[in-house]
Amino acid sequence: MRVMVIVKASKTSETGKLPPKELLAEMGKFNEELIKAGILLDGDGLKPSSKGKRVRFSPGKRRTVIDGPFTETKELVAGYWIWQVKSLDEAVEWVRRSPDPMPGEESEIEIRPFYEPEDFGAEYAPDFKAYEERLEKGRAELKAFRAEAEKLNAKK
Amino acid sequence: MRVMVIVKATRNSEAGKMPSAQAFADMGMFNEELVKAGIMLAGDGLKPSSKGKRLRFSSGKKTVIDGPFTETKELVAGFWIWQVKSIDEALEWARRCPDPMPGEDSELEIRPFYEMEDFGPELTAEVRAKEAELRAYLEAQAKSKK
Repeated sequence: MRVMVIVKASKTSETGKLPPKELLAEMGKFNEELIKAGILLDGDGLKPSSKGKRVRFSPGKRRTVIDGPFTETKELVAGYWIWQVKSLDEAVEWVRRSPDPMPGEESEIEIRPFYEPEDFGAEYAPDFKAYEERLEKGRAELKAFRAEAEKLNAKK
Repeated sequence: MRVMVIVKATRNSEAGKMPSAQAFADMGMFNEELVKAGIMLAGDGLKPSSKGKRLRFSSGKKTVIDGPFTETKELVAGFWIWQVKSIDEALEWARRCPDPMPGEDSELEIRPFYEMEDFGPELTAEVRAKEAELRAYLEAQAKSKK
C-alpha cells in the first residue's frame, strides 16, 4: 500500500529558515535507508506559505485567490514523503526512526494511506481503467512530441 | 518550477463520500488536459484521516495518535504535483479545476517546492552529492512507472 507521510509546518519552517546542516545530513542518511528498504517513492520540501496561494471554491460563487502567508501553521504542510509499505504499522515504525524534523520545536508527522483503484468499487472500475489508458496514451503522445522537438532542435 | 497543489479536506471527504460519476469524469478530463499540457507530474487522493495516524515529536519523545483528526482544516484530502513556468501559471490551471468538493466550500493550496538552488552553504558537498543521487533515483523511479 502507498502512504503519504506529511511533515507538518512549524513556526521555524514558516520563517523560511533552512534546516541546520546536521539535520540535512541526517535526513539524507534516513532517505538512503528508505531507498535500501525499497520504501521510498518520493519526498520533498515545500517553501513557506508566504510563497504560496490558495484558491477558494464556494457553491454559487466565483473562485477567489488568497495570497500566503497563512497564519494557521497547524494547517500547513512543510514537506512529505510517499512510501510503499506493507501496512500502516510498518509506516509508523519507519516514522519513529526519522530524525526529528523540527529540532527544538514540537512537530507532527501524519501518515495517510492513498486511495487505490480497488477502493472505487466495481461500478467505477471500467471507467477508471479507460481513464488510466487515456492518461497513458496522453503521456506517450507527449513523449513522442518531445522526441520530435529534440530531433528538430538537434538539426539546428 | 514545481508546485504541490493541495486539495484540503472537507466534511464530505472525511466521511469517505465518493464523488459522483459526473464529478469523477470532469476531474478525469481535467487531469488529461494537465497531462497533455506537460504539467502533470503526479496526482492522487488520500483516504480519510480515520485511516491515518500521527506521530508527535516533543522534547525527544515520540507519541502515536490514531486518526480521525477533528480539525478538518488541517487535513490534506488529495494533491497534484505540477511542473509550471510560474505560480501564476499554476493559478490559471487551478482556477480551471472542476469544483473539487461539490456542494461544499473548499480550497486548493499552491505551494512551490524547495529546489537545490535554494540551499546555500548549509549543504556540504557530501550532502549535495547525496541529494543529487536521491533526485536521480526518484526520477528513475517515476520514469519506470510510466
